[in-house]
Amino acid sequence: MKLLMVSVGKARYAVQADAVRQILDPAQETDLHLEESQAVFRGERIPLIDLHAAAGERRGLSPLYLLLEGARRRAIVPVDGTEAIREVPATDIAPLPPFIFPRPGRAFRGVFSDGHAPRLLLDQDGIL
Amino acid sequence: MIGPGAAWLISFRVGGAEAALPLGVVREVVARPPVVRVPGSHSFVSGVALHGGVALPVYDLLQFSPFWSGPRPVAEGGMAAPGEHLIVCDWGEARLALLGDRVDLLEQAGAGPAGEAGPERGCAVSHEFVSDVVRRDDGSVVLLDPDRLFASLGVPAAGPPGAMEGAGEDDPAGR
Repeated sequence: MKLLMVSVGKARYAVQADAVRQILDPAQETDLHLEESQAVFRGERIPLIDLHAAAGERRGLSPLYLLLEGARRRAIVPVDGTEAIREVPATDIAPLPPFIFPRPGRAFRGVFSDGHAPRLLLDQDGIL
Repeated sequence: MIGPGAAWLISFRVGGAEAALPLGVVREVVARPPVVRVPGSHSFVSGVALHGGVALPVYDLLQFSPFWSGPRPVAEGGMAAPGEHLIVCDWGEARLALLGDRVDLLEQAGAGPAGEAGPERGCAVSHEFVSDVVRRDDGSVVLLDPDRLFASLGVPAAGPPGAMEGAGEDDPAGR
């Protein structure tokens, strides 16, 4: 599967490239406004997924926003940078054990080796 | 050679405590590989490491408050010492790792009934997780009760032995 590699704070994630509808530059988008937990993009209210907060980091001014489209709805994910698009075989993605989470639900599809360190793959259908 | 009634343990240092687990639950000990934090996971889960193609959850007992009977120990520098090794355990269908240092093999001679000895005075590990205290030349080692410890960490109870590969979330590769 084709994955877009992104960085958020100190963390590095991947997201399925075909779930990314647009990569938005807030400096260029006049019709994009952020509110507390959602964004208003071209008149549409879209949930905001804050991976900085999920990692216990303070949210800064992210230079890029990913507009993701899952099976049920869309969301905007602020990221600090996009690194590359890579083809990663599905067989290389190891599922996470569910018992490490205090609550059911699935924000990550799994983890795979990306050079020196493992990288988490976001599950757009789990978070959207 | 192991004596009658004796058992082998894997001892390790966690925080300021010397702890041990029965060798039977320890699959292997490896140098700490890169571990990636997983947002939304328990605070005492340091992250996951890739180990033989499997996502191995790595637990940091220093961050697990119920494990300690008093204030959590800190290293001399004031910071919690990160474990240099992973003690990889098989627990039923699950595989997990504990962070630890100074890993060693230890013989438990003539083990008494569980809880008979109890932890020493001043031992920082909560009674709840200690099944015995083993004497060693350089002090004592608390033998951890894996049933209680792993259950408290949220690891599913050990069932019939089997491969853990099917214990994860839905496999992206459909394995």
